[in-house]
Formats: sequence, structure tokens, C-alpha cells
Amino acid sequence: MDALLTSAVAGLTAGGTYALLGVCAVFTYRLVSVVNFTGAAIGTAGTFALIALTEAGYPTWPSVFAGILVGTFVGVAIGYVMTRWFAESSASTKAAVTVALLVGLIAVGLRLTGGQHPHVMPELFPGSAFRLAGVEVTIASMLTIGLAVLFTVLSDLFLNRTRVGLHLRALSDRPMAAELLGVKVQLLSLLVWGLTGAFTTFALMIIAPQRSPNFMTLSLLVVPALAAALVGLFRSFWLTLAGGILLGVIEGMASTVDSISQYRSAIPFLVVLAVLLWSQREARWDEAR
Amino acid sequence: MKRASLRASLALAAALAAGGAAVVGLLPSYWVFLATSVLITGVALQSLGLVAGRTGMIALCQMSFAGVGAWTVGYLNLAEAPGGLTVWILLGGLAAVPFGVAIGLPALRLRGINLAIVTLSFATAFDTILATITYPGQAAFIQVPRPALFDSDGGYFIFVLIVYAVIAVALEFLARSRLGASWLAVRHSERAAAAHGVSIAASKLSAFAISAFIAGISGGLLAGYLGTLVAENFSMMASLSLYAVAVMTGAHFAEGAIIGGILVVMFPEILRRFDLPQDIGNVLFAIGATQALSTGETMSETFRRLCRKLRPARRAKAADAAGSSLPQPAAHAAPVALEIDNLSVRYGSVVALDHVSLKVTAGTVAGLIGPNGAGKSTFIDAVTGFLNAYDGGVKLAGAALEGHSAHQRARAGVRRTWQTNRIAPELTVGGYLNLAAKGLTESEIRAVLHWLDCPDPETPVTTVDAGTRRLLDVAGVVAARPAVVLLDEPAAGQSHEESVRLGQRIAQIPKLFGSAVLLVEHDMDLVRSVCSEITVLDFGKVIASGPPTKVLGEPAVKKAYLGIEEESVAA
Repeated sequence: MDALLTSAVAGLTAGGTYALLGVCAVFTYRLVSVVNFTGAAIGTAGTFALIALTEAGYPTWPSVFAGILVGTFVGVAIGYVMTRWFAESSASTKAAVTVALLVGLIAVGLRLTGGQHPHVMPELFPGSAFRLAGVEVTIASMLTIGLAVLFTVLSDLFLNRTRVGLHLRALSDRPMAAELLGVKVQLLSLLVWGLTGAFTTFALMIIAPQRSPNFMTLSLLVVPALAAALVGLFRSFWLTLAGGILLGVIEGMASTVDSISQYRSAIPFLVVLAVLLWSQREARWDEAR
Repeated sequence: MKRASLRASLALAAALAAGGAAVVGLLPSYWVFLATSVLITGVALQSLGLVAGRTGMIALCQMSFAGVGAWTVGYLNLAEAPGGLTVWILLGGLAAVPFGVAIGLPALRLRGINLAIVTLSFATAFDTILATITYPGQAAFIQVPRPALFDSDGGYFIFVLIVYAVIAVALEFLARSRLGASWLAVRHSERAAAAHGVSIAASKLSAFAISAFIAGISGGLLAGYLGTLVAENFSMMASLSLYAVAVMTGAHFAEGAIIGGILVVMFPEILRRFDLPQDIGNVLFAIGATQALSTGETMSETFRRLCRKLRPARRAKAADAAGSSLPQPAAHAAPVALEIDNLSVRYGSVVALDHVSLKVTAGTVAGLIGPNGAGKSTFIDAVTGFLNAYDGGVKLAGAALEGHSAHQRARAGVRRTWQTNRIAPELTVGGYLNLAAKGLTESEIRAVLHWLDCPDPETPVTTVDAGTRRLLDVAGVVAARPAVVLLDEPAAGQSHEESVRLGQRIAQIPKLFGSAVLLVEHDMDLVRSVCSEITVLDFGKVIASGPPTKVLGEPAVKKAYLGIEEESVAA
């Protein structure tokens, strides 16, 4: 029991990261109607900027700041491609574009970072925050979860309480219509991309020391993130948050059971299957009326 | 249809044979070895083209399916199963099918994006599972033997070429079949496909299953090609970059799959010779795919468009009916074709239809009219099963339709047309009719098209103007000869002469095809001239019904249409 609790708590850092990435995915989907497969790759780019700078001998915190800037910039760059050429495309086409961009980003990333070449990722927040029933809860896990909750609250407030958020919600499928209402769609979209880029970068910097920090593995954290977003059906921020944390905890627990620990990266797949089967009990027609 | 498939297949087989002979005869053995790899990648791309190109879904685990096929071949080799590589490859393809279906199932109802997430997460899961269980014979370096006849590199190239050609020809036939048309139709509009009696689930699942089968075969071919495999051959990154290439070149075209195969294999080769890093290839595929998505045109489509420009332009011919006759009218015995009893529909607090009852007698044309927003289209949606819920009863030839989905109702004999054009533009006119009306002969298709002044069956739908597409929609439903057809404003957008001619045709439908007609129209001349009974809706309620002359004279009807009392008009 104790071992299980320890491992569940050990999964919290990952859970917080999945949750934050998931909430960012929902945020992007609801505001610019893009299911973004490059989400984690954007953060990974920023994280590797941090690694490169610290490896070159620069002090940690300025490097963190620079890394976040890089992540934001990459996010805005991808957002520019999406708004410039695909603003009026169908959701399915937009998703396909982000898949293609993911392929390119990973290729460039692997090239610049030397493929599987090992890197030293500084641990930004070492140590434990407090003890819970005899188990150490790390600062890193509290930070990712806290960040995820903060982003959830902010997104919820922005979409439900602000005028611009309401407009965007009503019109996310038809940016042209929002434009006609006087909403600066392109600017707002780029803002969305930049903001999610900054948040994911920071989250990935925290989780990177726990993973093998190679460009591809970090970029593919988009899989549990999208699984979490599906738990929230790409609508609810709070369900996504819960889904992400739960996913991390399940993964943590699975890692202690020897017979299944090797297969634990199959967990997002099982969650996705379960959620889709459950959420599609009733027939629905496609959007093409 | 058959003839066109045969012609295309022969051309394809000839091109492949010539290309194959050139490769084996002229190229040094290293290049023959590479060319084999091109074809194997081409097979994998064809499998992806089926899902990504034809049904328009995002599938990101094609190499995992290939991995299932290859793993099966390796396992059968270790187990010394009888039959040799050819049989093992087939079994490997079959082994991938349940995976394809299982992954397709949760993505059936909502569209493409969910499939993208499921397949990507499956690819990640498969990556780790394969890395853990390892490829059979990987540690002991046990080779998968090639068939004795095709053992050399040149021989194995020919073996792979034959498999590629068989798959390409089979896909060519499939593409022109009703199933192939249903994939395009589902991609374009699921509702319109269901209205033709196409089961959306069956259509999508068949695409997944066939696609997984072909991908599994490509994995088996790879096993024979390399002898031993490792998990990295089937990594998620391989699936992702294959998807980018498929989007870029248009893998659902035979030439697209070959071009894609060449790019995937030759790019790293060329980069290697120039001492450049080989992974630049993926960057170019990503750019190419983004470019193709932004223009909406793949490399193959560009290529075909340019080729068409070179050929003398053929003018769209009208369908020639010489020596052909309309299909036999269907016998529908029930005296009342369609009976609606107290049909009510509400959207939230808005009552769209309020206890509407009407009958369509077999062998007649009935009319349903009413001002905009009266509930006519909602009525058709409810009767044909496109609404989730309604109150009241719909009976077709005496049998209740409640509990039947849209495509089941269409198959039972309630067919409809649409106000907006929903014909998949990738189809030909004949292919569309084949989709809408199962089992017509070629000459019957010609006769139906001629009867409604539609173009020749070989004409691509893209070249047909909007007005004629509406006629084509009508041609499709009447050719199916259901118990009743619901025509939703067929004359909208037609000129006066055209609508007069259309009226004459509609009046003939019961006699020529055996179907009763419910006509929803705004064109009063048309309604008056063809309908024997008229029902008038206003704000979801029936305000009048009976013979046209009586109904159209009623003050309530005039008021509904003109918005004022008759006296004030006179005044």
C-alpha cells in the first residue's frame, strides 16, 4: 500500500505536466479550433534552448527565461503558419497541418540537438515540498499541478467572463465573422499560440530531468496531453485537468508493478479508447450539413 | 464502370511491367535493391492513401500495422509454419485487420481528429510493446527466407513488383466500386451518404480493415526484404513521416504512392552521397505536406491536372440513350406509400412541427408547401431519420420506421434529395448513380441520365454545373426506385423552362419508376401542375390540405404566403 502511494505521488509531476499540456490543447482548440499536435514539441524547443545555454556555461535562471522566450517564439511561428494559410480550413485539415509540422519540428530538433546524444538537464526545483502520509511530495510536482490549476482558472475566466472570450467562443469556427465584429482575430490567435507556448515550455522544463531528455520523447508528451484533453472532450478545462493528473498517477502506479511497468506508455492509448467509446454512445452527424 | 476499371488496370499493369523490366535490365544491383524498397514503401503508402486520401481521415499508425504484419511473418518463420513467405505475408496482412478495426471503432461517430489521436497513441503504445517483446528471431539473427523462385535481389524485386501490381489493380477496381464511391461520399458529407442507404460505420470500418491489411502486407514484404527486423523499422516517427509523404504526394493515386516511395527511399540516399544529414528529408516532407494542404492539391493531382491540360479538351456530352431503356418500375403494393401521424418536433422551446399528419398515396405526386421557416425541411429530416428525436409516427407502406437509422430508412424505401448540393465532387456522374441506386446496368444508368437531361456517365462531377447537379440528385433517388421519394425544392435555381420540363418529369416518376413522390417546392406553377394533393404548413402546423385548386384558393393559405388578408390586397 505504501509503495503504491509512493509511486502514485511520484506520478504527480508527470500528471501535472500532462494536465497543463492538456489544458493548453483545449484552450487552443476552443479559441482557434486547432487540435495541436505540436504542443509538446513547442515546449521542447524552449527546453532545449535552456539546455544549450546552461551547457554553454550561462547561469540557470536567465537561461530559463531565454528558453521560455524561445518556446513562445516557436509557438507564435507555428501560430503564424496556421493563421496565415489555414484560418478558414476545416478542423481536420488544421490538425493534419500540425501533424506535418510535428514531423518537421522533430526532424529539425533532433538534428540541432544531436539526436539521442545525452544532455544534462538542470533540475530547476529539487527537493520536497512536504510529507504526505510519510511520502515525500516534491516541489516539482506541486509546481506543475499549481501551474496547471492556474492556467485552468485563467482559461475558464477568460472564456466565460470576458467579452473577447465570449466572442471568440461563439465564432471560433468562423474567424472571418469575428473579424467583422471588430475582434482582432489574427493578433489574438498569435497571442493564444504564444501564451500556450510559454506555459508548455515551463512545464516541460520541470519534467525534463525525469525523462530521457531527447527531443523526440519530450515532443511525444503530446500523446498523454491529448488523451487528457479527450477526457475533457476538448471542452471542459477542469475535466482535462483531472484527466491529466489521473493519467500521471496511473502511470506512476503502473511503474511499480513489474509485469506491466514496461508497457506503461500504452496507458494513454487505453484511456483514449475508453473515453472515445464512452463519449460516443449516441449517434451524431458530422459538421458538413 | 467495369470497362473503365479494366482499362485503367491494364494501363497500370503495362506501366509497372515496363518500369520493372527497365529497373532489372538496366540498373546495377544496388539500385535494384533500392527500387525494391521503393515498392515496399509504395505498398505502405497505398494502404495509407486509402484511409487518408479516400476517407479523409488522419491515420498515424500505419507502420504499426506493418509491424504487426512483419512480426507475424517472423513468428511463422520461427515456428516453421508451412506455406513459405507468400502465405505468411497474407497471414500477416490478416493479422493486422483486427487491429485496424479495433482502432477504427471508437472513431466512427466523430470525424477524423479523434482517429488521429487514437492512432498516434496506438503508435506510441506499439513502439514500447514491440521494443519489449522484440522481433521474433532478432536476437538469434534468424533470417526470413525468400521464396525459392525469387531468392536473388533481382528476383525479390519482381516478387514485390507483382504484389504491388496486384494491390494497385485491386484498389483501382475498389475505387470504382460502390464501396469506393461510398468512401468519397462519406468524406464529403456523412448525411448525404446515409441518405443513399450507405452505413457510415460499415463504410469507414471497411476502409480501416482493408488499409490495415495492405499495411500488414507491406510489413511482411519488408521482413522478406531485410531478413531480420528491429523495432525501429516500425517506429512512430516512421508512421508520422509516412503520413506527411502521403499527404504531400497523394498516396491514393497509383503514381502518388510510387513518387512517395521514391522520395522516402531516395532522399536519404542522395543526402548520404552529398554527406548531408539524412533526416533533412523529414523537414522537406513536412514542408511539402503543409504546402499540399494549403493549396488543397497533392502532387498527383497537380500532375493529373497538367496532363489533362495537354490533352484536347473534351466537352461534356449529354448522356446518349441509344439502345438503352429505363429500369423496370418497382412494384410497391401498399395503397398508402407514406403515412405521417401527428409528427411533432421541438428544438428546445421552439416547436418546429406541431402534430403534422399527412398521407402520400402510392402512384401519386403529393406536394408539401409553406413559406420559409414553416418546417418543411425539418419534416423531411424527421421522416428520413436525420433527427435524434421526434414525437408521432412515420409509416412506410404500413410499417413503422421508428427505431431505424437514416441509412436503414433509405434502404427500406424512403429516399430524399437535398436543398444544397452534396454530391462528392471526386465522383463521376455514373459512379454517383451507382452509389445512389445499387445494381443498375450501364445502359439503365445511361437511360436515367438521358431522361433527366444529365451528362454522360463518364463525366466528372466537378465539371457539372450546380443546376444539373440538382437534377443528378433527383436522378439518383428515382433510379433506386424506392417506395417514396422526398424531393426538397428540386426546381430551386432552375430557369422557368427548365422547371417546366422538370415538372413533366416529376409527374412521370410514379408511372416510370413505381415510386410515390412528396414534392417540397416554392414554385407554385410546378406544384399546381404535378401534385394531386397538397399540404400547406405554416409555423409547423398544417393549415390546409386537399386538391391544389381548392387548397391554393383558401384565404389562410394566401395569408400565409402574402402575409396579409386577401381583402387588403384587393383594396
